[in-house]
Amino acid sequence: MVDVSQHELVPEHVVLDEDELQDVLDEYDIDRTDLPKIKRTDPALPDEAEMGNVVKIIRESRTTDTAVVYRLVVD
Amino acid sequence: MTEFDVSADVEAVVEDTELPEELKAEVYRSVEERDASVEQADEIARAVEHRYLDTRVDALDPVGTVSAQSIGEPGTQLTMNTFHYAGVAEIDVTQGLPRLIELVDARKTPDTPTMTVHLDDEYAADREKAHEVVWKIEATKILALGDISTNVADMRVHIDLNPDTLQERWPTVDSVDEIAGEVAGIIEDSLGVKTVQQGTNVEFGPEEPSYRDLLQLVEELRDVTFKGIEEVSRVVIRKEETEDGEEFVLYTEGSAFGDVLSIEGVDASRTTCNNIHEIHSELGIEAAREIIIEETKTTLEEQGLDDVNVRHLMLVADIMTNRGEIESIGRHGISGSKESVLARAAFEVTVNHLLDAAIHGEVDDLNGVTENVIVGKPIKLGTGDVNLKMGSTSRSSQAD
Repeated sequence: MVDVSQHELVPEHVVLDEDELQDVLDEYDIDRTDLPKIKRTDPALPDEAEMGNVVKIIRESRTTDTAVVYRLVVD
Repeated sequence: MTEFDVSADVEAVVEDTELPEELKAEVYRSVEERDASVEQADEIARAVEHRYLDTRVDALDPVGTVSAQSIGEPGTQLTMNTFHYAGVAEIDVTQGLPRLIELVDARKTPDTPTMTVHLDDEYAADREKAHEVVWKIEATKILALGDISTNVADMRVHIDLNPDTLQERWPTVDSVDEIAGEVAGIIEDSLGVKTVQQGTNVEFGPEEPSYRDLLQLVEELRDVTFKGIEEVSRVVIRKEETEDGEEFVLYTEGSAFGDVLSIEGVDASRTTCNNIHEIHSELGIEAAREIIIEETKTTLEEQGLDDVNVRHLMLVADIMTNRGEIESIGRHGISGSKESVLARAAFEVTVNHLLDAAIHGEVDDLNGVTENVIVGKPIKLGTGDVNLKMGSTSRSSQAD
């Protein structure tokens, strides 16, 4: 099998733990369902990610150094 | 802390601004280059910060509308018809407006699917090795391997394989007989006939003597893929300059991204294709977002419209990938799944939307732009979303 995370188009995906997630949600004053979504079957998702988890994605940005975004794992 | 040769004071001054990393680096670079004093550095940093804050999007700015116009206007200058791609070795690729439409419509397969296959070090340096990979990717049909003749009298199909071609396309197998055997095996498996192989000659025929079956077999034989990937009809090798020397890169007509990634010699970290759905299923939604930006950007750039700010394209890609799968911009995608009935009705097939909404008892909260325009309320954007009240500034002053 090909290691998807090694591809240059795929940014780093990290599963966020609940504390960090709470900080993020508080900062933006949103609900976790307001976040963009990522499918549970997404090949770039870390193995330990489960439904309802939030993954933190660290992109190399075109407009700034790195951009951090969050996606909620959905079915 | 920084990689630049600047004093601690300058660093403190620059770090004190609200600038993003990239602009800070730019400031450091200028300061270093001109050997500016701390006061000058401070002035520069303040000026840049001021300009940066000034050009940031204001709260309640309609960024979507701005993006739509910023892509739409240059879009009127795109070529309407496709033409041959002059840049990359004779591979025909859809360009201009049709390509842009294809991207935002999220078509299942592009008009001209193509892959850019990068190779691992040893394969990329050596033309022979690169060719090995080519034969693993390009679909080899029977016509490329030898001559077919039909003997109507004996009801037999006769194939005279070309030993040089066989050796060329199966470089890892030593004997031509063995390759011919392999070819005969593939024919047996895919056509369901018994073959007789003698050297590079292969013969077979229908079980029952039938003229129609014989012709049918020849027809089917032409479609059998003996080596490589069915979908890829052609592969072109190009030598390209890189930062450290030269490498061979393969361009394909037709794409099968998943299959190619696992082929030995293919650099699975750099190979891409122009089918956003294939990228999505192999590499995930984030890679799909990335390829949408990249493809829309190159489509515009190739037409000389490189002054479209990438942020607009990023917004389009963000919207298209927001739900974890690729959605098209249009009736079947974003516009069709809007929450508001009125907004959907205003877009296309008005009556159907209104009728369905009435049957299901839908409620419109009037949060979006379109629905508020329809009912004649101010839209909730810009000054429309701010309420101003006249009155005193504090209670304590009133008490006096």
